[in-house]
Amino acid sequence: MSHPPLAAACAAMLRRDLTLAWRRRGDIVMPVLYALIVITLFPFALGPEEALLQRIAGGAVLVTMLLAMLLALDAMFRSDIEDGSLEQLMLSPQPLALMLGMKILAHWITTALPLIVIAPLLAGMLHLPTPVMPVLVYALLLATPLLSLLGAVLVALTAGTRRSGMLLALMLLPLCVPVVIFAAGAVAAAQQGLPWLAPIAWLGAALVMALVLAPLACAAALRIALDA
Amino acid sequence: MTALSADAPLLLEARALSFYRQDEPVFGPLDFRLHAGEVALVEGDNGSGKTTLLRILAGLLHIDEGSLDWRGQPWRREEHLGDTLFLGHHLGLKADLSARENLTVAAGLYGTRPGHTVDGVLTDIGLAGYEDEPARRLSAGQKKRAALARLLLLPATLWLLDEPYANLDRSGIELVNRLLAEHAAEGGAALVTSHGAVSFLNGEPKRVRMHA
Amino acid sequence: MSNWIPLWVHKLSSPPNFYRFAGVVRPWALGLALLLGAVALYGGLVLAPADYQQGDAYRIIFIHVPCAWMGLFVYGVMAIASFISLVWRIKLAEVVAMESAPIGAAFTFITLVTGSLWGKPMWGTWWTWDARLTSELVLLFLYLGVIGLYHSFEDRRQGARAAAFLAIIGIINVPIVHFSVNWWNTLHQGSTVRILGPSRISGDMLWPLLTMMFATKFYYLASLFGRVRTDLLAMESGKDWVRQIAQGRAAVPEQEARR
Repeated sequence: MSHPPLAAACAAMLRRDLTLAWRRRGDIVMPVLYALIVITLFPFALGPEEALLQRIAGGAVLVTMLLAMLLALDAMFRSDIEDGSLEQLMLSPQPLALMLGMKILAHWITTALPLIVIAPLLAGMLHLPTPVMPVLVYALLLATPLLSLLGAVLVALTAGTRRSGMLLALMLLPLCVPVVIFAAGAVAAAQQGLPWLAPIAWLGAALVMALVLAPLACAAALRIALDA
Repeated sequence: MTALSADAPLLLEARALSFYRQDEPVFGPLDFRLHAGEVALVEGDNGSGKTTLLRILAGLLHIDEGSLDWRGQPWRREEHLGDTLFLGHHLGLKADLSARENLTVAAGLYGTRPGHTVDGVLTDIGLAGYEDEPARRLSAGQKKRAALARLLLLPATLWLLDEPYANLDRSGIELVNRLLAEHAAEGGAALVTSHGAVSFLNGEPKRVRMHA
Repeated sequence: MSNWIPLWVHKLSSPPNFYRFAGVVRPWALGLALLLGAVALYGGLVLAPADYQQGDAYRIIFIHVPCAWMGLFVYGVMAIASFISLVWRIKLAEVVAMESAPIGAAFTFITLVTGSLWGKPMWGTWWTWDARLTSELVLLFLYLGVIGLYHSFEDRRQGARAAAFLAIIGIINVPIVHFSVNWWNTLHQGSTVRILGPSRISGDMLWPLLTMMFATKFYYLASLFGRVRTDLLAMESGKDWVRQIAQGRAAVPEQEARR
């Protein structure tokens, strides 16, 4: 029996998830709005003093991004489990890890990319110096896919449970500590005029590892959580 | 329906198949054989494990005890994928996609049977005029038909149909029977569960009884 | 089951056999733990001299350091048991992994509390973002994640397998966290107080420390075996061997009544 080519299957998956996200564009805006609200609260909580806000800008934006992504992460497989399309995907003659990789890519495009686009705006609201902006965007470009990949594995593990966003946060925290450290470290180093390439390189190396391993782990986790 | 020619190849053979949930037996030990061209009705009361059996055969649950052979070889999920179609309680339709889009995705993953197209299949299944309607707006019976369209479009030898008759009107039931008859005639096989056996199939099907 | 696994391992891993084995070992392990713990505390609190810098405050290391070791050790045991349970689907390995998690979390929690108590006189603050304390906190979260995931499933075995997978992800994560936290500490020039220089420890202090290490190991063994026995009874409640035990217990009071 001849199965459809891998590229066609990947394209079908990616197109499906992007179409679904587009049909519910309101949901795409939610994490962006959430990030905007959180960042707006910082000056109210800490006072509008520019030097202080400047100091925390990089870290605050990163943590806000992380929380906004966490908000959207929970939904990654939920509807697919509820309507049975995940079963159809798992039974298809395609490598599950690759198909899940496509789902993660679609999820990153629809949740993380809009966040990265508004990140300079958010950082600007906290007076992050303009020369540091590119470093923040580099850091986010590497850190957000990492979080999407790691998060996908954990969401897959909770697939068989009644939903619990807190549990996901608890599970994700130890995994995202290094990501936050290096991403925020790069921004902090750039702000102090220190070389920032090393932490960015570490993030890049971790991303390459995660790109290879996380979809496989995600597939294995899904099979365990749905008991296949 | 039961084209039991002696030389029809044996597709599926279960020996002493059992399944436990939390160490409580769900069903089994169960023995049955399924040849090419056979359609078998899985019989049993509510909770006797009919759905569980189909999910095991599909590869969604692991086998606890007993053995399962597929074409004479021990059953392995990897080799089984794409040769089996599973229609469960959840139909596997995305509510925000149209019937056509849903089928196109399925075709992208599973491939298509020669000579069948998405639009042709949708017309055949009785959804002409509803191709671009989001699945969410279809009636329960129409959703079922959209899911059944997969059977017609995607290539597979073994069909595992959990309650295919539910929500269908008389013409829908005839449609399922027609699909099953055509599938059997082409050398395929199917396991079907059904609560109301009243309208089931033409003639006398083979039966697999679950020990409740 | 692969052939290379020795027969006795295979036999021991059957729940009824392990239940009996653990029942025999448990009192001995508990007794040894209490005995060694008492000896170590006497050695540490009474016999060992006061530190010339920290005075008597340092004596908390006789709890703190063995618990910190156990936090990591138990995580290692849990990860190995998790791996075995996922690869060979051995029920006993699942139970060992899942029952190790709360014990390890408790050890880690004690480490954090004693570290904090120690920090107050040393650093003048209850909490400092020191690299080791921070890593220890992350370890506690790893444990809590495993425990939380295990209990969020309705099917215990499924929950155990999912949590086992998380435990394995965690063990890969531990060195990464440790490395990144160290890097972070140098970047932010945090508190670099080193309380316990590697060479400063004298023999008077060392032997109670090592004795306590063995005491905590035996305590872990006793606690684990007790928990595993309870769990096995609950999981296998439908099986014959559990019925026999339940009937045996029920029969004992009757016999006593007859006497």
